[in-house]
Amino acid sequence: MQPPRALWVPFPLGRPLGKPADPAFQTKVILAALELLHREQGPVLEDFPHDAPTNMETQATACPVSFAARAAAGDSWQARLSSEFATLQPWYELSLRRRDGRTLVGLADKAPRDNVDALATLLDENKTPSDITWLKNAVEDIKAFYFEAMTAQPGDYDSDALQHQFWQESSLGAAILAFHDLFNDAQQAQMKLIARLLAPREAVADRDKQQAKFTGGHSND
Amino acid sequence: MVRLSELPEYEREHLLAKNMPPLGPAVWTEAKSPLSALRIALITTAGLHYRDAPAFAFADSTFRPIDGDEDPDQLVMSHSSVNFDKSGFTEDVNLVFPIQRFKELATKGTIGSVASVHYSFMGAGLLPESYEDSAGQVAGLLKQDQVDAVFLTPV
Repeated sequence: MQPPRALWVPFPLGRPLGKPADPAFQTKVILAALELLHREQGPVLEDFPHDAPTNMETQATACPVSFAARAAAGDSWQARLSSEFATLQPWYELSLRRRDGRTLVGLADKAPRDNVDALATLLDENKTPSDITWLKNAVEDIKAFYFEAMTAQPGDYDSDALQHQFWQESSLGAAILAFHDLFNDAQQAQMKLIARLLAPREAVADRDKQQAKFTGGHSND
Repeated sequence: MVRLSELPEYEREHLLAKNMPPLGPAVWTEAKSPLSALRIALITTAGLHYRDAPAFAFADSTFRPIDGDEDPDQLVMSHSSVNFDKSGFTEDVNLVFPIQRFKELATKGTIGSVASVHYSFMGAGLLPESYEDSAGQVAGLLKQDQVDAVFLTPV
């Protein structure tokens, strides 16, 4: 792209200022970038030399909900997702109180609870929805509900650990990956693009690796 | 801008495989005033907008203006990509759209002032040329607002 001035930062994608709720560190990143404005020539591409700070004393060891016992064999998607959603509801409400009502939920027309039911019904019938905008907004809303509930307690959260818990341990993560597979297994290229709008490539690969372990080294793709 | 080495392997390979040519000749404009005199706007590609503004489509070259005087905690994100972390933005809007940090810098006199309106794009699904019309419009709007420099936050 050759922007005239760029500061290359060692933070996860999606965290350009490094660390949430750390104004001093965010300001340090900003000032390092603004310093590039007065260089004599460019383009300038400079490394920011500091990692985002971590405070081990306040690092949350895990999200408040255990997804480990998420499903009994033979449970329907409706049973699995309803039960999990109910477990997270009080944590989401705690998040709303702690964040003064701030939430990213609300892209979809219907409430997350209604959309969970609709998604579970589709999966139990092994169907994909025709309204992709509805599907995407419903999934993003329910994901926001989950992540806000999972981070309701104050403290630092490791973004990689959160992503792993969501995609590899929660029933909702498994449900979205199941929708991903339904679209990805279709022949049309457009359906495969929809699959990519639902689940990160890394989550799909990690899930396949886990499945391969259980099936003696054969992944499902 | 995140370093390539910080990206998940899949994302790094995906971006490198695009192998895009440079986007036109490199541009360079000297800052003729000290930082303490510059008016600065924020531009993000994180797909942010206020709840009552239209959500971004899956591939969308339009932009949303963000009034700097509105409550940034009311911003939501309708970015179509699932390949970046959104949990930090849940905690703190300034992680992606550091409007409060820039207002603090203006109050301290470190920068001259903060623009009255900022801009949000949704960076996914389209090649850079698709954004040419929108980028031209935003450039004109920034000039009207007498902005000297922009702080870009890609995600």
